[in-house]
Amino acid sequence: MAETVLSVKGLKKAIGGKPIIHDITFDVYAGEVFGFLGPNGAGKTTTIRMLVGLAKADGGDVRIADISLQDRFPEAIAQVGCIVENPELYKFLTGRENLEQFARMSGGISTQRIEEIVRFVDLERAIDDKVKTYSLGMRQRLGIAQALLHRPKILILDEPTNGLDPAGIRELRQFIRRLAEEEGLAVFISSHLLSEIEMMCDRVAIISQGKVISVGVVNELMEQFADQVEWTIPLSHMEQAASVLREIKAVTEVWQSGEERLKTRMDIEQVSAVNQTLVGKGVPVTGIATKTVTLEDLFLTLTGGGKEHGTEHGGTRTK
Amino acid sequence: MGQSMVGLVQNETVKLLRRRRFLVVVLILAILIPIFTYAQYRSVVTAQERMGTTDWRPLLTQQIVDMQNRLASSRLPEEWRDFIKIRIQQQQYYLDHDINPMAPGGPTFARGFMDQAISMFLPMIIVVLAVDLVSAEFSEGTIKLLLTRPVRRWKVLTSKYITMLLFTSLTVLTTLILAYLISGVVFGYSGWDLPILTGFEVTDGELTTTGAFMLPQWQFLLMQYGLGWFVCIVVGTVTFMVSVLVRSAAAGMGIMMAALISGTILTQMASSWESSKYLFVVNLQLTDYLNGTLPPIKGMTLPFSLTVLSVWAIAALVVAYLVFTRKDVTS
Ligand SMILES: Nc1ncnc2c1ncn2[C@@H]1O[C@H](COP(=O)(O)OP(=O)(O)OP(=O)(O)O)[C@@H](O)[C@H]1O
Ligand SMILES: [Mg+2]
Repeated sequence: MAETVLSVKGLKKAIGGKPIIHDITFDVYAGEVFGFLGPNGAGKTTTIRMLVGLAKADGGDVRIADISLQDRFPEAIAQVGCIVENPELYKFLTGRENLEQFARMSGGISTQRIEEIVRFVDLERAIDDKVKTYSLGMRQRLGIAQALLHRPKILILDEPTNGLDPAGIRELRQFIRRLAEEEGLAVFISSHLLSEIEMMCDRVAIISQGKVISVGVVNELMEQFADQVEWTIPLSHMEQAASVLREIKAVTEVWQSGEERLKTRMDIEQVSAVNQTLVGKGVPVTGIATKTVTLEDLFLTLTGGGKEHGTEHGGTRTK
Repeated sequence: MGQSMVGLVQNETVKLLRRRRFLVVVLILAILIPIFTYAQYRSVVTAQERMGTTDWRPLLTQQIVDMQNRLASSRLPEEWRDFIKIRIQQQQYYLDHDINPMAPGGPTFARGFMDQAISMFLPMIIVVLAVDLVSAEFSEGTIKLLLTRPVRRWKVLTSKYITMLLFTSLTVLTTLILAYLISGVVFGYSGWDLPILTGFEVTDGELTTTGAFMLPQWQFLLMQYGLGWFVCIVVGTVTFMVSVLVRSAAAGMGIMMAALISGTILTQMASSWESSKYLFVVNLQLTDYLNGTLPPIKGMTLPFSLTVLSVWAIAALVVAYLVFTRKDVTS
């Protein structure tokens, strides 16, 4: 198994007497992109602040490359590159002067390394302009340059796609995948966008109200929830259809998803068999649609936002 | 992980210069000193017109004769006698060396300037220099980059404090140089050796001249600018603390201005409120002790004021370090 680059155990934090983070635990390995997924206000930024030493945890343990962040802060943080919220740099300095500031703080960074990183993030042409003239995308790239300058083992990014256009997001996504796959870096990314995590990450921790609800491989997590099938059935036969479906073994769950609509969670291979059973029992099926579960469904289910409001569950997309 | 303090101070220096803080300070000095020079020049001209003569020698000779007559009178107490003797020596020096005591040279202007500037003007300039040294990092969000480096927080703060000390010292030096150079254009550049009376003491609220003696002006200036430097360091340190505590530069500026101005008001009316002498803003007029001006409040002496200022500075530093090393960074 790959090296554990970031290990978080039982992290806790209260702000103003109010508990914000309860018992957050997860590990991040070298060479993987790890998603940190949660809705607004879930505590993503608060957690990240504790991971990079901007805020002190009330309890729990953070180890970076097996070095305790609390006990040996300089050594531990030397392995971390981060952008917390927006990439705020010194606007009155040029891009290069900004990098020189951080180089002096990290120590042992040559001018060649600065050149190299500037080329890596493709900022050669603008590096001697003042940062206040940069576009958001350029600032984001300079932010990544400062985060990677000292060759960290883990890159921590808080909602990095905020404010970027679709092209910028795609570029960033490819960039992050490349860092993990080619450079062997661990990348930790927070987001409230499920699609983003789904496309970028290998593993994900899902958090809500300051608690980790689930940690796992993105694909496996999604497989836990078998695919869904939506049946169109006349209102008059709804109840009958539902009770028939509940009897069938291949169907794990049934709920009404709209007028004349029933949804089942089941193996898609079994659709025609189930259809035959329904028709055989005299239920007129007027339409069948199969849907693959997205992380969004998963998320809503996990956070309890889904099943109680079965009718609102239709936000799923057909793949 | 051996990040040298030199590198950190270099970082802070680059930021301070590129924020144009020091440029602003030099500009303020370069604009105001000519104005004060002109005002001084006008008052010299008016004085000469009032006396109806531009020849100051007979006037000085007359003063010396007057004082000698008083010495001759036997009813004079002993310590007055010594003081008048020193005064006569001083006036005689002016006559012998052909110095007009009414028309100051560059060094004399620089001395008068520090007397005027030490309690308000210079501290305000230092506030401009130091007020956002820390708070700007918070308000601009760059603190997140600064504190996620392999450098402990106390080191980051120390590099900022050292930078503040450097530029405060540079400001006091620049004040002396600019005051001398600019006023010299009008008043000439001589007068370093001019004898200045000092060594007055206050006992039981009375000024005693027993210990009075003469000092060449350059030595006097050195002492005076030394005290000015000390005042600036103390004001800079308190401003530094405010910069840690308050996130907005405008609020920090407001707090410091209010403190300095109330200090000026208090020194003028506080003789009845004795414990106000423990406020640092009431103790800024250190050069008055050299000149032999009665202090605003009974019981204030140079060592007393130096102690009060030092205690304030140390307390401010302790608060600044405690808060900065513990504070959570939130947006
Ligand atoms: N300084 C603070 N004082 C009081 N409450 C705070 C403070 N900072 C954060 N919180 C609370 O902590 C919770 C988590 O906030 P946090 O910023 O970590 O959320 P987030 O997951 O990053 O959300 P977003 O997606 O909106 O960025 C929120 O409910 C917020 O109200
Ligand atoms: Mg956030």
